[in-house]
Amino acid sequence: MNLLTLLIFIPLLFGLLIVVLPSSLRNSYKYITLLAALVQLGISLLLYFQFKTGASYAGIDHESQFQFIQKLPWINLNLGGMGKMQIDYFVGVDGVSITLLVMSALVMVVAAIASWEINKNLKGFFVLFLILDMAVFGVFCSLDFFLFYIFYELMLLPLYFLIGMWGGARREYAAIKFFLYTLFGSVFMLLVMVGLYLSVKDPATGSHTFNMIQMMNPANYDAHSIFSTINHQTIFGFPARTVGFIVLFVAFAIKVPVVPFHTWLPDAHVEAPTPVSIILAGVLLKIGGYGIIRICVGIFPDVAVSGSFVLGLLGVISILYGALNALAQRDLKRMIAYSSVSHMGFVLLGIASLTTEGISGAVMQMVSHGFLSSMLFFLVGVIYTRVHDRDIYNFRGLGTLMPQFTVFVMIGFFASLGLPGFSAFIAEAFTLAGAFKSGSTNGLVPHWMAACGALGILLSACYFLWTLQRMFFGTERLKGGETWKHALKDINWREKSALIPLALMALLLGIMPSLVFGKINDSVIALVEFTKQYIR
Amino acid sequence: MAYHALAAVLLPLFAFVVNCFIKGKATGWVSTIAILLSAIVSIIVFNHTFNGGTIHLNRVWFTIGDTQLYAGLLLNNLSTLMLLLVNLIALPVHIFSMAYMGHDKRYGRYFTCLSLFCFSMLALVVVDNMVLFYAFWEMVGFSSYLLIGFWYKKEVAIQANKKAFIMNRIGDVGLLISILVIYAQYHTFDLIKLFGINGLISQSYIKDGLWIAPASSIPAAWQYIACGGIFLAVCAKSAQFPLHTWLPDAMEGPTSVSALIHAATMVAAGIFLLGRVYPMFNTAELDALAIIGCFTAFMAATIALTQNDLKRILAFSTISQLGFMVMAMGINAYASSLFHLVTHAFFKCLLFLVAGVVIHEMQHVKDENQLDIDPQNILYMGGLRKRMPLTFIAALIGGAALVGLPLTSGYLSKDGILIQAFEWSDTKSIGYKIVPIMMLITSWLTAFYVARLIFKVFFGKLRVLDVKPVVICHISDGGWQYRLPLILLSICCLFPVFSLNPLLYEQSWLFKAFTTADHLERMNIYHTIIPAGLNILSIVVIYFAYAVYVQERKMLPFAQNNWAFDFSYNQWYFNKAYNNIFVKPVLALGSGLFWFDRKVIDGFIQLLQNILLWLSKVADVLDRYVIDGFLHLLTAIVQYIGNFVRSFQTGRVQYYLLSMLAVIVAWFIFKTLI
Amino acid sequence: MISLTNYLVVSGILFCIGLYVVLVKRNAIQILIGIEMMLNAAILNLVAFGKYDKVNNGGQMFALFAIILAAATTAVALAIILNVYRRYKTIDPDKVDQLKD
Repeated sequence: MNLLTLLIFIPLLFGLLIVVLPSSLRNSYKYITLLAALVQLGISLLLYFQFKTGASYAGIDHESQFQFIQKLPWINLNLGGMGKMQIDYFVGVDGVSITLLVMSALVMVVAAIASWEINKNLKGFFVLFLILDMAVFGVFCSLDFFLFYIFYELMLLPLYFLIGMWGGARREYAAIKFFLYTLFGSVFMLLVMVGLYLSVKDPATGSHTFNMIQMMNPANYDAHSIFSTINHQTIFGFPARTVGFIVLFVAFAIKVPVVPFHTWLPDAHVEAPTPVSIILAGVLLKIGGYGIIRICVGIFPDVAVSGSFVLGLLGVISILYGALNALAQRDLKRMIAYSSVSHMGFVLLGIASLTTEGISGAVMQMVSHGFLSSMLFFLVGVIYTRVHDRDIYNFRGLGTLMPQFTVFVMIGFFASLGLPGFSAFIAEAFTLAGAFKSGSTNGLVPHWMAACGALGILLSACYFLWTLQRMFFGTERLKGGETWKHALKDINWREKSALIPLALMALLLGIMPSLVFGKINDSVIALVEFTKQYIR
Repeated sequence: MAYHALAAVLLPLFAFVVNCFIKGKATGWVSTIAILLSAIVSIIVFNHTFNGGTIHLNRVWFTIGDTQLYAGLLLNNLSTLMLLLVNLIALPVHIFSMAYMGHDKRYGRYFTCLSLFCFSMLALVVVDNMVLFYAFWEMVGFSSYLLIGFWYKKEVAIQANKKAFIMNRIGDVGLLISILVIYAQYHTFDLIKLFGINGLISQSYIKDGLWIAPASSIPAAWQYIACGGIFLAVCAKSAQFPLHTWLPDAMEGPTSVSALIHAATMVAAGIFLLGRVYPMFNTAELDALAIIGCFTAFMAATIALTQNDLKRILAFSTISQLGFMVMAMGINAYASSLFHLVTHAFFKCLLFLVAGVVIHEMQHVKDENQLDIDPQNILYMGGLRKRMPLTFIAALIGGAALVGLPLTSGYLSKDGILIQAFEWSDTKSIGYKIVPIMMLITSWLTAFYVARLIFKVFFGKLRVLDVKPVVICHISDGGWQYRLPLILLSICCLFPVFSLNPLLYEQSWLFKAFTTADHLERMNIYHTIIPAGLNILSIVVIYFAYAVYVQERKMLPFAQNNWAFDFSYNQWYFNKAYNNIFVKPVLALGSGLFWFDRKVIDGFIQLLQNILLWLSKVADVLDRYVIDGFLHLLTAIVQYIGNFVRSFQTGRVQYYLLSMLAVIVAWFIFKTLI
Repeated sequence: MISLTNYLVVSGILFCIGLYVVLVKRNAIQILIGIEMMLNAAILNLVAFGKYDKVNNGGQMFALFAIILAAATTAVALAIILNVYRRYKTIDPDKVDQLKD
């Protein structure tokens, strides 16, 4: 049995178990889900430790260099004159995905712990949760575009219901908004996917293929196909490959989210229940970044190079815009949601630089933000489940009431604002280093952009510290008076067990970044080499 | 030796980790013993390495791309000296804190944070690359944040620590940008490779608007930006104009913290940074540095004249003295600047500890008599010299050193700076004369406010009695934890520690260690005339202050209601201006963008959604009335026909026959007609 | 001389009377009589047209057949009417409208 396949479908097995269990055993669902997440974490750690590094395991555009590959023919139709249709079940990992897998697995465990708060329609919730879990891992592992797309779409459905049924007051609005946004992106992605399929031929079999790695090789494109690398076809007067890139980019940019495609995020986060917020921020946003690296840059490197200025600009705008918006928020969860926009901007900036530092920093930022945003949303959930309020101005002096909680908040906040010693610092510093270096070496992202990005670090300090000052310090004053004071108990062992691993991971990655960089380095170098040929 | 230094750095970290898990009085001992051991080790390190060349030890930290990042130690004169200095300052402060914070409920937390600070500060001075330097640079800021806001229920304290961190963050961003520009230019973070002898920096130059380095070349503007970033970092950390406003507010933290962090060590980190990256700067940049320092020194001194808060006066004097050091860096008086850094660390720490003792006693008076006074306000103090003689003597020594009177360490370092400032201005155009002249004026102002402080606090009569005539006063010098640090630091403020000749700064071992031989000659008249003139006038100024504050003679220039007094008392209105120019617009921009986000971007989405809804409504109408309508029409017709035909089916045979007949007849008629 | 037309007129009148009786009368027996009259009108026509077939006397032959058939149908029809009467206690065709939909 292939470990990756096991990793992907384990949640489904447990989900089936929950489906068949009678509802009289509903209290066991949360344990089953947690067990599933823990098993997944175990497998992903096993993968992580077995993952081999070295230039011959770089992956990216060499199929043989991927690890833990499983490739089974799935849909093979002989279409007579139109050739053969070839869709494989094709999974494998390289440096870019392996760290994200471990991160997602840990975030899933935390989300599973957070979902113990859920108290209505347990069966539905946990089954959907596990389906989502499966889809997420499928996305990170699949190397066949068709398979990727299926998992990608499969994520939407459970999320829609998870937000729409278990969310807050305006949950339906938020769910619809989220659904439409992402669907808008992915529908057009489907078109490009089909276009790519029709353009690419597997050199071994001569039939069209959805294999992503084949799509990265310019030699596999038909000379007269729409996305041909030689003949520059046009769609509506625009170069076809540019259009393809933009469409894919928009699809992933909505996920990341990049300004101006971000407005679903605050609403979805604010309305979603805590575990779903954690998954949204911790894992789903990373799928956007991952997609940009693997698919946008991987399949359209030529356009990625020529469009890197715009990419970097969007990244910088996201950083500053998200940070300034976060400064204006009254709702704690919304503030953190906007801070996610700001932090994910660094990912885009790093990718746009197309330097080893930038891309490594971007991956690091994704991993780090996965842990940190999960932590922050979990922390907001702690307050919200106690008093059902999140308005910053309704709280004051929480540090006296909940000292341990405040310690974790401080860790979360300071780690997020890039305090050295935590992972976000390394990530942001190297993203910016890549951006600066790009200005001096390949000239893709100008220096001033990197300098503006650095301002985001300043602004993040402003909004986090301001919040800390307003909510946690000072003499205690609560809107709900004595009732709240009794409700606001310090965190219990269950919450601690979720927060401690996240805090430790953030610290560990800050002190030993080689845990991430060591695994991704070869892939990043390969990716940069791969794009270098398009830089004039 | 490198491992000794490593041990010296890691001991406070160890104390920090231990203190995270334990509570109570033991924490104080853990931290203090750690810092004591660290101090001993650093003395050993100092003995072996000072003036003994460079020791560099590093290990690969991680690899990114083809760049390897190292984590390592760099011990040269500068870092060894700082290592020792930080430990020597931290040790008395730890001892002092054990008594000073003894009654605080969060005693354990205090020492945890203090150890974290010591670790960060010690690491900052010995690390060998820019990334780690930045990391610890920010870590000292963070631990200072924790300690300023130590009394987190005090509204002003948490405002102050936020302000301190954010202002420092501005500097951090500057430093980060300059580090990254340097990295982009030279592809390395290593301090020795960059700034060492024949380092990459010395091999690069600016030509034709390009900044040319061995590896690459970029527009020259980026060289200025990199230096500007470093200046920003220095300004933030060392509280120079325009980022100085956080330091006075930072005095809301415990006094022992102010002594260690905001007077002696952390604020000196900016100077230390300048020392580390000194080869970066070209003449124009150094001039800018000198002007910044000069202006800051003057401004802070004028503000200190009118403040009433004991700690704030000292804070502004710190800013002023840091201005001296920055200016000294700017005028190429590298050695004097570092010399002043060291002497200032001792005497300012001493003065803060004195302030701590005084405040502690005033707090007692306040608590015992339930008075509504500010224990830090010098207007309530007075006549304390008889009640706390040791503290008074310490204050005198510290004050004399701050003013720069002979026989103290301050004289050696400060007068050296002034002499070199005059020498420097001789090489420049006449306009630059204003720098040394302003520094002279600043020195006299310093003499005045120091005198004012000491006279107000220790002379005259206790002015608390004006508030309440009968008060219980148990004012004393305190226990050994108070006395010992004061004695230790007082000794370090005297000239023998630094030079055997009390009048010639050139003969100090510290000065010699950082300078080349040609500076050691007494080249011109300045070396005699300036110390003499400066000190004579200083004494005049002190007498003047004595006349005003002790003898209470009315003198005209000290009216408290003119614009100059307000200007100084309100700290040149910087806080108000920053609030109006930066804070409010940024917040407004944030709100504006949020409005933009909700109304424009979301509004656009909403519009799309509405269009979609409208389209779907149209489709619905079409569907219901047009397409379905057609179908309904068809069925209606069929139904109507059916019903019509049904009516013939009466079940009566005769009707059938009749209708048959009718049909046949009709057919016949039809046939015959056509 | 009695021409063919006279026969045809008589037979037409006879047919019309029969038709009228069939359509109007409320008694099944009378309707049956009407039917017989219409049948007889047809037979009269057959006999009248028989003059064109003097060799085989086809007209007369068919007339005889038709008379025999008429007798048979009358018997059957009377039997039906009897059965109808037994079932509905009436022989008014308007009352027997079970063929209605």
